[in-house]
Amino acid sequence: MWTRTVNGRELHFYLAGINNQNFLMRDKETGTWWQQITGKAIYGQLHGAALGLVLSDELTFGQWRTESPSGQVLAPVAKYTKEYDPNWEPDVAKLPVVISFPGTELKSRDLVIGLTINGAARAYPWETFARQSPVVDRVNGTPLLLALGPDGKSFRVFVSRIDGKDAEFFLQAETSENKDWALLDTATASQWNFQGCAISGPAGGKCLDRIPALKDYWFDWRNYHPHTTVYKH
Amino acid sequence: MSASSPSTPQLHGQPPDLQKTDRHETDHRSSRWIWTAFTATALAALALFFIPMFVIRPFRHQAPRALLLAMAVRQRAPLGTLIAALACFVLAFALWRTVDRWRKILLVLTMLLVAFSAVMARLNHFEWMFHPITGPQFLAQSASKLDSKEMIMAVHLGDDFRAYPISQMAYHHILNDVVAGVPIAVTY
Repeated sequence: MWTRTVNGRELHFYLAGINNQNFLMRDKETGTWWQQITGKAIYGQLHGAALGLVLSDELTFGQWRTESPSGQVLAPVAKYTKEYDPNWEPDVAKLPVVISFPGTELKSRDLVIGLTINGAARAYPWETFARQSPVVDRVNGTPLLLALGPDGKSFRVFVSRIDGKDAEFFLQAETSENKDWALLDTATASQWNFQGCAISGPAGGKCLDRIPALKDYWFDWRNYHPHTTVYKH
Repeated sequence: MSASSPSTPQLHGQPPDLQKTDRHETDHRSSRWIWTAFTATALAALALFFIPMFVIRPFRHQAPRALLLAMAVRQRAPLGTLIAALACFVLAFALWRTVDRWRKILLVLTMLLVAFSAVMARLNHFEWMFHPITGPQFLAQSASKLDSKEMIMAVHLGDDFRAYPISQMAYHHILNDVVAGVPIAVTY
């Protein structure tokens, strides 16, 4: 998700084409062409400009509902409900790819979580991540915590630092008294929820900083982040 | 007439029937030029729409230079096709009285193609495949019929929490929204 204000001017985007299966958009105000995944203007009057990233999440509706009681949901447009594909995930995965990176660690349609820290990109193969979660890693000096949600589908990435000190996290074991999903940190032994906030213990009330991350196909992530590293463990 | 023109003095000295043939040849030559100009202009009008359409088509590889060309052409196509269509029309008009019925049909068909290109350069066929959302409506989360396992994209700005179901966004692709006063583009 991107902010739509560039040089103080509000832009309105529309779908304008496709570039190796990542879409191109143009703004009505200047006709400039923008690449969806990078938010960069690649041709036209605003060439070289970049849209601001808006921190967003990919969550299940169930997870989001518990976190956002006052939340609003985009309503389906009645005219197009027939066009919505409830099976979009497996259906998109079946589409052909037009670019591939043979010799790289992953297959084109492998899902990854991609993130960038001060220009250094790293991809986390979804399967590895889901198996190991929570994943603690370090990119460009920043300690990271990647967590799969209690629903097994939602994910978030945080800076794994509490009060300026690096911390490690692990999943709280489920017991008969405590069935709630929580992470525990090794530095303060506090309990943390999926929003990255300490719900009990010495760190109670504190929240970890968030890192924007994108769930993407390997070919798309690799195409726009040619120097990306891949998490291996 | 300039005296330096070699054909002019000769023309006056020639018998009437020869003069006629010569004029015929001059007409023929100028009509050939008009045909050439017509063909070139018509091809340009068609290229302005078809080149970007061909390059930027789904499920095909887009090479960086081809993409750049496509965007440059598409950017100029609305004005370019208009100028080309007007020029084509003027040239077709000039040719009209000199050509037989079959060539008239050819002119008309070409003009139709040129007009098609000029119209298409003003329309966005990607939005025919994936309709945009104009005037988005929102439901309170308690009123939503979404299944709890459905994936959504969520944003939290100020006091506002908004969710965009991916099944919907995977079709519309772009939504221009304003959340807590901040204009954002939701993209998938």
